[in-house]
Amino acid sequence: MSTPPAGADTPAVEARGVEKRYGALHAVRGIDLSLRRGEFLTIFGPNGAGKSTLLRMLCGAVVPTRGTVHIAGEPIGEGEDGWRRRIGLLSHQSFLYPGLSAAENLEFFARLYGLADRRARVDEALRGVELWERRGDAVRGFSRGMQQRLALARTLLHDPEVVFLDEPYTGLDPHASGLLTAVLQRLRDGRRTVVLVTHNLSQGLEQAHRVAVQVGGRWVSDEPAEAIDPATWERVYTERVAAAQ
Amino acid sequence: MSGFLSGAWAVARKDLLLETRSRERFVSMATFAMLVAVVFSFSLDPSVRARSIAGAMLWVTILFAGTLGLGRSFALERDSEALTGILVSPIPRGALFLGKFLANLAVVLAVEAVIFPVYGLFFGLNYGAGALGLLLVVLLGTIGFMALGTLFSAMAAHTRMGDSLLPVLLLPLLIPVVIFAASATQRLLIGRPLGEVQGSLRMLLAFDLVFLFVCTASFGAVVEE
Repeated sequence: MSTPPAGADTPAVEARGVEKRYGALHAVRGIDLSLRRGEFLTIFGPNGAGKSTLLRMLCGAVVPTRGTVHIAGEPIGEGEDGWRRRIGLLSHQSFLYPGLSAAENLEFFARLYGLADRRARVDEALRGVELWERRGDAVRGFSRGMQQRLALARTLLHDPEVVFLDEPYTGLDPHASGLLTAVLQRLRDGRRTVVLVTHNLSQGLEQAHRVAVQVGGRWVSDEPAEAIDPATWERVYTERVAAAQ
Repeated sequence: MSGFLSGAWAVARKDLLLETRSRERFVSMATFAMLVAVVFSFSLDPSVRARSIAGAMLWVTILFAGTLGLGRSFALERDSEALTGILVSPIPRGALFLGKFLANLAVVLAVEAVIFPVYGLFFGLNYGAGALGLLLVVLLGTIGFMALGTLFSAMAAHTRMGDSLLPVLLLPLLIPVVIFAASATQRLLIGRPLGEVQGSLRMLLAFDLVFLFVCTASFGAVVEE
């Protein structure tokens, strides 16, 4: 079950006037964005800025109150196939079942994606995150870093064109964090589009082509990463957040 | 269609694999059912013939034990937010419902396989002559119960008071199913022929088809934020 590639000019991710309300809470207030294929966007922002809500709307896990999202030209929310095969979501939550082994977890998700060469893909994914030796062990016994590596394998199992990352570094030790960074750098292959939401100013900036700052459900800046000086970025970011709040 | 069925099978297989490892739901439901049987056996006046109210006793037990298990059905998905992982995958929402429903059905049928012999032992019930009819009534009644129960357990899992909310939402809607299932069970237990409960069987089948259709179609609206 392969998904045909989108046209070269079609944005990989496009959102128009996306809003989300939870009762009186206005979590996301009309955000527009357009990402080219191969682009790496990092979204920074304080807690409660609505970054995760935006990310989840972009990948179809949360339904927008208003606005539209397209993945590779396909409107999300219409039909169940197509665009969903193009995306992968990695969160600080692993989306894994603690009672299943590493291999069983990946096999389950491989079945959901209808992957034909299931066993080979699972084996390759486990080797890619250095968990082949622990493939038969229940995820319950894994450290936080191992669970996140397995979650990364789950995210990339079906070779998605667009990868959404929601605070993937949360709770990781330096080794696991380094491994994740190495994998994310491999994702910058010009073929894959990445949207990263993080509080980590240095890691987020290091990898991005484009950087946005979200405060109170709105983007207060959106600029190329090369326009940002890493030496002053922390001060600039803090000033922008303070000015917007 | 094959993608729909393979998705449903993947979800059901995963739930059953987790249940066979932990036996968490089966053990709690079966223990609860046996405790209810013990309470009934001690509280019944000796002048009351248990057989005359066995249909109601069995269905009250199935209903409450089943509701206890349903409460845990979506808890599996809440841990590590696994449901989000499923929702961003291409599996149709209806297939997710069908998978959860099939796994719930299998677990409750396994508990019923314990309940019926226990009640037979405690209350001297003889299932022999009407066993086939009873099997049909129990299967049709449980399908309707689990169809509605799977939908409402997903709904309750999204709320803070989920576990206490589930029976309040679910039980009133199950009254028609329970009435037809309990009355048919009762008649078969007192030795009435299968032909006498055909009307109840048709009603149960109708409820099952309506519940399965409505729940499959509306599941997406329930699980998506």
